[in-house]
Amino acid sequence: MTVHDGEDLALHQVKRFARVGDGGQGEVFEAGGPGRLLYKEYREPHKVRGDALTHLVRVRQEMAPAERDRLDRQAAWPLCRVTDGGRVTGFLMHRAPEAMTWTTSKGDGKLIELSYLLREAKAAWSAVPQPVPAQRLDLVVQVVSLLEWLHGLGLVVGDLSHANVLWSLAPEPAVHLLDCDGIRAGGQDPVLDQADTPDWHDPLAPAGLPASVDSDRYKAALMIGRILCRDPLIRPGEPLTLVPGTLDDRRAGQLAPLWRQAAGAAGSRPDLGRWRTALSGRGTIPLRRGVPRPAPSGADPAVFQQRGPRGTIPLRGD
Amino acid sequence: MQILPFYLLCDESGSMTGDPIDAINRALPDLHHEISTNPTVADKTRFCLIGFSDDASVLQPLVDLSDIDEVPALSAGGLTDYGTAFRTLLRSVEKDVAELKAQGHEVYRPVAFFLSDGIPTDEDWPTAHRELLNSRYAPKIIAFGIGDAEAQIIGQVANFRAFIQKDNSVSPAQALREFASSLTRSIVRSASSISSDGSSDFTLAVEEKVPGFETVTLDKV
Repeated sequence: MTVHDGEDLALHQVKRFARVGDGGQGEVFEAGGPGRLLYKEYREPHKVRGDALTHLVRVRQEMAPAERDRLDRQAAWPLCRVTDGGRVTGFLMHRAPEAMTWTTSKGDGKLIELSYLLREAKAAWSAVPQPVPAQRLDLVVQVVSLLEWLHGLGLVVGDLSHANVLWSLAPEPAVHLLDCDGIRAGGQDPVLDQADTPDWHDPLAPAGLPASVDSDRYKAALMIGRILCRDPLIRPGEPLTLVPGTLDDRRAGQLAPLWRQAAGAAGSRPDLGRWRTALSGRGTIPLRRGVPRPAPSGADPAVFQQRGPRGTIPLRGD
Repeated sequence: MQILPFYLLCDESGSMTGDPIDAINRALPDLHHEISTNPTVADKTRFCLIGFSDDASVLQPLVDLSDIDEVPALSAGGLTDYGTAFRTLLRSVEKDVAELKAQGHEVYRPVAFFLSDGIPTDEDWPTAHRELLNSRYAPKIIAFGIGDAEAQIIGQVANFRAFIQKDNSVSPAQALREFASSLTRSIVRSASSISSDGSSDFTLAVEEKVPGFETVTLDKV
């Protein structure tokens, strides 16, 4: 089974093995040999917007190889659609990197979700490695950089939550985005209507309007603040109690105004580039905003309204 | 934080001796494992275990499952006194809800999973049951009957959903394993729809069908 060209695959060509996930929209199976690819099968294929899924597949296909490698490392991106008699039943994707799984005391594997970064470690999941402060900052930078890149591609992520970002520390801090079929081209409908995850909604998003780059920016702020504070519920505008050692004074000083701004009205949230700059500790150079030149005053309007003598242009030389 | 308290009321009368009680005792670590390794669910739920026979005991007081690493085992012996089970549940719920509120939490209506393998040996259990359902924090009850339990009585105990073991097709121990899995799934799915500030609609996600069981129609009053 090859998925390198992104062309649709017929359902009968997909070898389904063990079920590894069960979500609201569908089930996820191992496919094409254990450990290699996953097949997400939609519970209600008649509701699937096939064009939206095609767009996501095409975004990946049109990337340069280095970019595509990055996408595959950082996102469970739809590789190709799976169809049955003209109906889209699901899609194939890569498995999350092995380092993003932990082994429970019972011996089963679980994904290392963002949840485990957002609270003090408990005995029940003590096998999940916890980051030192510098690694915590690095993970935030990775999330910000990934989202900034996706926005740069004209995409809106939609649902960002404790359950759809995975992370690992070795060999170096890395993140991996799940549920990528919820991503859509800006202004377009997603593959399936998607609800926000409880505690991760944008309270100021205009009712009835689809997810936007701006609502992504709000959720990114939630994610940044929650990771840096190890607090699963903190929201922009609330006091930031950072995990000691994650940010130096310079970074903390640059982050604070962005955190306040993220609590502002829809449409005014800081973009990911500003977060990235603040987290880099690079500092910014204030620039004077350009101001339109005022219209000239005091001129004699008659200059523009009165026509001078017209005269004639000789056309035939003598 | 919005908290959803779960109570497991488990029959440990003499008839549960052997495979049935062993099946429940083996399933409890799985329940604990599934919830305690899911911090988002553990944060929003609390769990209490009550065993009943001649008497009822709160074996595990209401707790965040990620805060414990052992739980008292169920141990079979004695009769099947439903009344004492409902009175003990009522006292626990009243105390627990008050304590959670005192800690600053908002509390959803408690959910009780009731499991029995026989018919009640006390006659006035409906009185205790009525007091429970008329109380301020009356729980939603999901009742499961296995072995000699009667569908009509299980349907009377439940006020949300009721299930009775299918005849002969499964053993009581198998049915209990399915019961425990269904209980775990119900907790995880219900908790996943809760927002910490109560701003999203919360659904008690109890399955309509449980393998090995038939769904009992509830008495309408």
